[in-house]
Amino acid sequence: MVLLRASGEETGETYDLSAIHGDGSDGGGVAAGVELLAFADTLLANDDAALTRARENLRQVVGDEGLVDAAGVAATFNAIDRIADATGIPLDDRNAEISADFRAALGIDSYAAGRV
Amino acid sequence: MAYNCLMASVTSYYANAAAPVRADIIVQHERVLQHLATPGSWYSGAERLAIAKAAREARDCRLCQARKDALSPLSVQGEHDHDGDVPDIVIEAVHRIVTDQDRLGESWFQGLMGRGLTPGRYVEIVGVMAHTVSIDTFAQAMGLAPLPLPEPVAGGPSGYVPACATPGPGWVATIAKDNASGPEADIYAEMRGANIQRALTLVPDEKRSWFDLVGVQYLPQAWMRDFSQEFRAISHAQIEFLAARVSALNRCMY
Repeated sequence: MVLLRASGEETGETYDLSAIHGDGSDGGGVAAGVELLAFADTLLANDDAALTRARENLRQVVGDEGLVDAAGVAATFNAIDRIADATGIPLDDRNAEISADFRAALGIDSYAAGRV
Repeated sequence: MAYNCLMASVTSYYANAAAPVRADIIVQHERVLQHLATPGSWYSGAERLAIAKAAREARDCRLCQARKDALSPLSVQGEHDHDGDVPDIVIEAVHRIVTDQDRLGESWFQGLMGRGLTPGRYVEIVGVMAHTVSIDTFAQAMGLAPLPLPEPVAGGPSGYVPACATPGPGWVATIAKDNASGPEADIYAEMRGANIQRALTLVPDEKRSWFDLVGVQYLPQAWMRDFSQEFRAISHAQIEFLAARVSALNRCMY
């Protein structure tokens, strides 16, 4: 989310970071945001029928190349999240500092609870 | 010859994807299959492929499902569902990382070490798991079953330990960018050495291979913060929005 915010600051766009935790009906001001959320949700839920629909909806708005790029991004983060969690790697100091506000506001800090 | 045969098969396999797959992704996924099948620092090619197979089987493990449903995962005892090719302690590591990663704690990691797993072996398991989960997630996203795993490459593990690794910043030793030297002098190339980039460096080839894949499926380091232009068919904002949603679903701060 640090890079999402940085992207917005650089391009003058305003994105609603809370949409990341929303029910998927709000795309956060990102083009094709609703379709991207549905793609991620159905992919990680292993719901193949819903994924098929979400994939087609995403393709309609970002095209074949955009769909492939989206698949690559989801594939990367579904695994890199596990690397981070499995090695106990903390956020870098700078990222922790600049993300402190929205981590607290969005409840992201609570992710650390319940780890055993 | 083996590489070319595998390349042809990956190309053919992805011909059935929901959309034409970029050539650089096809090349990377072919390389990842070779990487999984090649002896590493602590495991043979056959053992690495067995770990990859275990990562795929984890979703259907009844013990993992029961733990996932439990308030406290370690309160549920039992045996993982697997075909017996991999030691139980390795199965425990692989299955839990795949199915319950958001509740992994250091006490669990230390428990694995107390039962005989070593940090080097653990990091290699994490690396193999990550490569497998990533290419499998891509295949699923494109409407395909996971790529078939190749035959193992003969040979034993190297036992290589990077001399410049030091404790932290997480549970395992890593190579800090300022300490990268000798055979690891180039391990970060243009990367800034962020903690996530350090995570797998105790097994340097896992780090190198993983971030080669990341650079193609996501973005190379130099493109991540270059907002002056777009490098993919979806924008920086779309990429980061999607990445953030995936991480939120996984309850991961990264």
